[in-house]
Amino acid sequence: MSASASYLARRAAQKERVRILYRRALKETLNWAVHRHLFYRDASDLREKFDANKNVEGLETIDRLIEDGEAEHNKWRHPDPYIVPWAPGGSKFTRNPPPPPGIEIVYNYGQEDHI
Amino acid sequence: MASALRSAVLRHIRVPVAETLTLNGSKWSLISNVRSMSSHGDDHITKEEIIHRVLDVVKSFPKVDPSKVAPDVHFQKDLGLDSLDNVEIVMALEEEFKLEIPDKEADKIDSCSLAIEYIHNHPMAS
Repeated sequence: MSASASYLARRAAQKERVRILYRRALKETLNWAVHRHLFYRDASDLREKFDANKNVEGLETIDRLIEDGEAEHNKWRHPDPYIVPWAPGGSKFTRNPPPPPGIEIVYNYGQEDHI
Repeated sequence: MASALRSAVLRHIRVPVAETLTLNGSKWSLISNVRSMSSHGDDHITKEEIIHRVLDVVKSFPKVDPSKVAPDVHFQKDLGLDSLDNVEIVMALEEEFKLEIPDKEADKIDSCSLAIEYIHNHPMAS
């Protein structure tokens, strides 16, 4: 019972690792692709690489394959990845943010009626 | 002396600042709506628009039958996709709404309803 539970837990962890690796690799592909039509071909190549090992059995083999994949992903990390503009490192990060709530801007400063 | 001068000057120079800055009839609208070059988006999308755009993205996914797509559909159980297709759809949604979703959170989005809720609650979705 506990053996199968631990087996399932390990399989779930492996599946999550593969999903996250695929997600990062897909983003890396988009970083490297200059044009969209290049990205489509690269992405389908990447998908084929993942699908080739879809039915692999054996926990140790899968672990080894995931580690290989992660090593390859690390090797091909883009030096200047795309970051959405508002995110940390993006081109608009913290630029002209709205004033914090509770701050009142007086537009008729110096023209108050009581003067 | 200074205050007398000041009031004398101000009596002649009157710029209706509040009026010039008014857009849409509210003096706060300038702050809330137009922040050019700002890191904070000035367009807030409604839930209906989010639903419409999310469904559009899912329908245009090549492996999906567009007639099956509904706002409460589960990607893997109802649309017959696998986990990697799920990753691709979430990435397409990120691009559609100009978001960057952390990996762990993106991993949990597995249905249209979750995606709509996540995007609706995201302050930067546009």
